[in-house]
Amino acid sequence: MTEAAGLLDPHLTVGTAPAGREKLGLRGVSRHFGAVHALDRIDASIPEGAFVTLIGPSGCGKSTLFNILAGLLEPDPGGSVALDGMVVPPGGLLGRVAFMPQRDLLLPWRSVLDNAILAAEVQGQPKKEARALAREMARDFGLAGFEDHFPQQLSGGMRQRVALMRTFLFDRDVMLLDEPFGALDALTRSLMQRWLLDIWSRYRRTIVFITHDIDEAIFLADRVLVMGARPGRIRMDRAIDLPRPRAAALITAPEFTAIKRELLEVLEEESLKTFQAGQR
Amino acid sequence: MTAALRGLAGGLILLLGWEAAVRLFAIPPWILPAPSGILATTWTARAGLLPAAGMTLAEATGGYAIGAVLGILLAILLSQAAMLRRVLLPVVVIINSVPVAAYAPLALLWFGTGATSKVIMVAFIVGFTVFLNALDGLTRVDPAGIALLRSFGAGRLSILWRLRLPSALPAIAVGLRVSTVRAMIVAIVTEMLGSQLGLGWTIFEAVLQIDFLRVWAAILVASVMSLAFFGAITLLERRVVFWK
Ligand SMILES: Nc1ncnc2c1ncn2[C@@H]1O[C@H](COP(=O)(O)OP(=O)(O)O)[C@@H](O)[C@H]1O
Ligand SMILES: [Mg+2]
Repeated sequence: MTEAAGLLDPHLTVGTAPAGREKLGLRGVSRHFGAVHALDRIDASIPEGAFVTLIGPSGCGKSTLFNILAGLLEPDPGGSVALDGMVVPPGGLLGRVAFMPQRDLLLPWRSVLDNAILAAEVQGQPKKEARALAREMARDFGLAGFEDHFPQQLSGGMRQRVALMRTFLFDRDVMLLDEPFGALDALTRSLMQRWLLDIWSRYRRTIVFITHDIDEAIFLADRVLVMGARPGRIRMDRAIDLPRPRAAALITAPEFTAIKRELLEVLEEESLKTFQAGQR
Repeated sequence: MTAALRGLAGGLILLLGWEAAVRLFAIPPWILPAPSGILATTWTARAGLLPAAGMTLAEATGGYAIGAVLGILLAILLSQAAMLRRVLLPVVVIINSVPVAAYAPLALLWFGTGATSKVIMVAFIVGFTVFLNALDGLTRVDPAGIALLRSFGAGRLSILWRLRLPSALPAIAVGLRVSTVRAMIVAIVTEMLGSQLGLGWTIFEAVLQIDFLRVWAAILVASVMSLAFFGAITLLERRVVFWK
């Protein structure tokens, strides 16, 4: 449970995120699955280097949005996604953003190291070179000594870190993380959050992070996007200007709870809609 | 290990019971000979049984290797062609559901009574079994895994090599395992229907000569070979598919 504790760097060096230029832009992105209207005219702009969290009731289309951002799904005609200011053609995002799906999807026949280098390998990097890099990175990810283990031998938290390492080793500016800590217990989760912020500060990527945990959404983010009940829409776009580095105790601070109350109001309303839709 | 020991113990008990029953009820040897008699005959008839066993084993393993390779290759090809797969698969299933013995006379007619017809029959049966298992494994891959690799920029071949094939290995291994026994059976049955060599022929000939102990001796040798073949492939499977 405390396996991540040793990973935390007490001297976190992160400043506030730069209000950089737009890295990822969504313009009127909608998506239907037959009669199901999953996403409805999503507009959002993600600045370079920012940590943006996406929160919303389950079934509101968060994973669908990620699939579109990863290039796996196309938005309905009329909507578009822009990367570095350029509108991306269909399929054009494949291989250009580092996507971590909701399940870790580690391959049981590959060792920790070989799972971590999967994306790099697909991209044509020589295995030897990728492995050497992964070996160095394993310490940062709390996997030192486990490089040659197989996924079946690892705890849930460790598996999640292997999947994260795979995503980091896929050397792309944008990372999409779909509920990476969703299956972890509260304590491990809190440790992993601080660990992720630390890693993020060192590897500097633009991160979009899905969660359904409000504390997590606020604690990690420069900005929180709140999605509404289906059809998914951005109901709120809230900048989080809490100072970094952030300590665990932050979530009890008054400025934190103030933001939380604000988000809760919107979320409750949206969750209620989902709930009532389910009762009908 | 303990499972193997238990199996051995079970076999021993069965043999002892068999021996006792034959002696107790004075069963005549042409109905059921005692194990001791079968063992003794196996030893005295070894000069004829050994080359016959060698022939059958060569036909079975040769046909097995050819069928396995062709089955896997064909499955890989069809895994990449969804349309063709949907057209061909029902035909394959129909052909595969006809009992083997039905095709054996044709094989003898076309390829003669030498080893070729046996190798082809074995390859045919093994090929179908392995093909169907492999294709099932190759096409039943977690779609989320495929999506992940696509998001890394992987193409068809990369997905085939890094995901489909390894995911299909357990299914392929099952096909290879059940094929071992089928290969032996088909080789022997085809030999019975037409040949001058092999254990199938030995059995056929011994029946004509009313030499029932020799029939049983040949069956014993065939069973031991079958078990060994099965065991070897099972061991290999455990090493290759280590994650299951
Ligand atoms: N491939 C698909 N085919 C049909 N419906 C889908 C598909 N993917 C998602 N959906 C539907 O779209 C809606 C949003 O799903 P999803 O994006 O997974 O939500 P979330 O991740 O927010 O829980 C759900 O109603 C889901 O059933
Ligand atoms: Mg989801």
